[in-house]
Amino acid sequence: MTPVELVAPATETEALEELARGPAGSRAIVAGGTDLLFDLQGARPGPTHLVSLRRLPWRTHAWEAGGLRVGATEPLRTLEADPRLGQELPALAQAIAAVGSPALRRQATLGGNLGRSAPASDLAPALLALDAEVELVGRAGARRMSVDRFLRSSRSTALLAGELVRSVRLPEARPRSAYLWQRVRPANDISQIGLAVAFAPSPGLWRVALGGVPPRPVLAPDAARELAGDRPAAREIASAAERLAAHPALVSDRRATEEHRRRLAAVLCTRAIRTAVGEPRDPP
Amino acid sequence: MSATAPIVTVNGRPVSLREVPGDERLLDTLRWRLGLRGTKEGCRSGECGACTVLVDGAARLSCLSLSRDLEGTTVTTVEAVGDDPLGRTVQEAFAEEGALQCGYCTPGFVMALTGALRERGRSATSAELTADLAGNLCRCTGYASIVRAVERARSRSR
Repeated sequence: MTPVELVAPATETEALEELARGPAGSRAIVAGGTDLLFDLQGARPGPTHLVSLRRLPWRTHAWEAGGLRVGATEPLRTLEADPRLGQELPALAQAIAAVGSPALRRQATLGGNLGRSAPASDLAPALLALDAEVELVGRAGARRMSVDRFLRSSRSTALLAGELVRSVRLPEARPRSAYLWQRVRPANDISQIGLAVAFAPSPGLWRVALGGVPPRPVLAPDAARELAGDRPAAREIASAAERLAAHPALVSDRRATEEHRRRLAAVLCTRAIRTAVGEPRDPP
Repeated sequence: MSATAPIVTVNGRPVSLREVPGDERLLDTLRWRLGLRGTKEGCRSGECGACTVLVDGAARLSCLSLSRDLEGTTVTTVEAVGDDPLGRTVQEAFAEEGALQCGYCTPGFVMALTGALRERGRSATSAELTADLAGNLCRCTGYASIVRAVERARSRSR
């Protein structure tokens, strides 16, 4: 058997040319590699070529036009070390802190997490609530779309063959936002449920997103509609929690039962909104 | 991609990656190609931290790293971490506190703590350092002695 080759193109053009070579499925993209390597172990037939993105100039993040642009290969650990993240996009900071361990986050990337559409991603619900967009690049050019349109299903995205995620853009600071999760063990476990909430100041609307539910993280517009203004009243929060607990994405799988998830959704919804607006998590 | 042979430096020694397949994990290169068996394989999925090594001074999971993707970097394993005063301090702290029983997880803890102390510097708090070890599992000690070793290493490295 021919050994698998690893190639590390120096430019975006070279990377896209490399991805276009060989039969479908012969090239696997390596960003941080943390999710991919787990899959590669024992995967046959696997890819014949691993295309590492490490030399591309995408290992950056920049605050621009009121928002944040994150290069696809920026390690999560670098992002979380930026003090502005916790102030301007607390939901994203909290979601990043929920991913694996510090050593894993030094490798893991936002682009890789989205590109592989990990079904229980902690990052995706935060990105949904924060109205994030992905920028894709292929040989035909670049295009942008919302994270909501990008994520199709578990391990399935809108990426076409030969396309790469180049960056993720968060359009504006949303200091009133939060991400909470529930797991069996706090570290190194997969969330039974993840919940992101964010208040968008300009239209004055909330967004609520659920994660840890199969087959992919989803928005919960019915719950969000119950919330008005930057300081929702207790009864609005209670209505939103009740709506969220009825969300059709809350089903049973091997990580949690439907009943448990519905109860968690209501509790975390209340806590997340209170956290986002700077009130004590649980009412006295 | 480069004309010269791809090289990674392991414990101060240049190692050619020319014969290393593209999908070989750093853990396998270290243990089976270089005979550095101090780095342990636990969960092989990034959950236990037993395989932690330093790459360019920072803690990293060798079971989820591709050797060929580390071309040009410097890797330090538990076999050489004691050559550095900070790593030596961490090793001594674990020994003096008896912060191990079976010892399988210990190399990973030593590397993770050395990396954390280097990253955070003199201002590191015990809470930050123990949080940095959240990815390292120990099934023997109940962690109390490990937490004491963290505190001992922290106070000695200031």
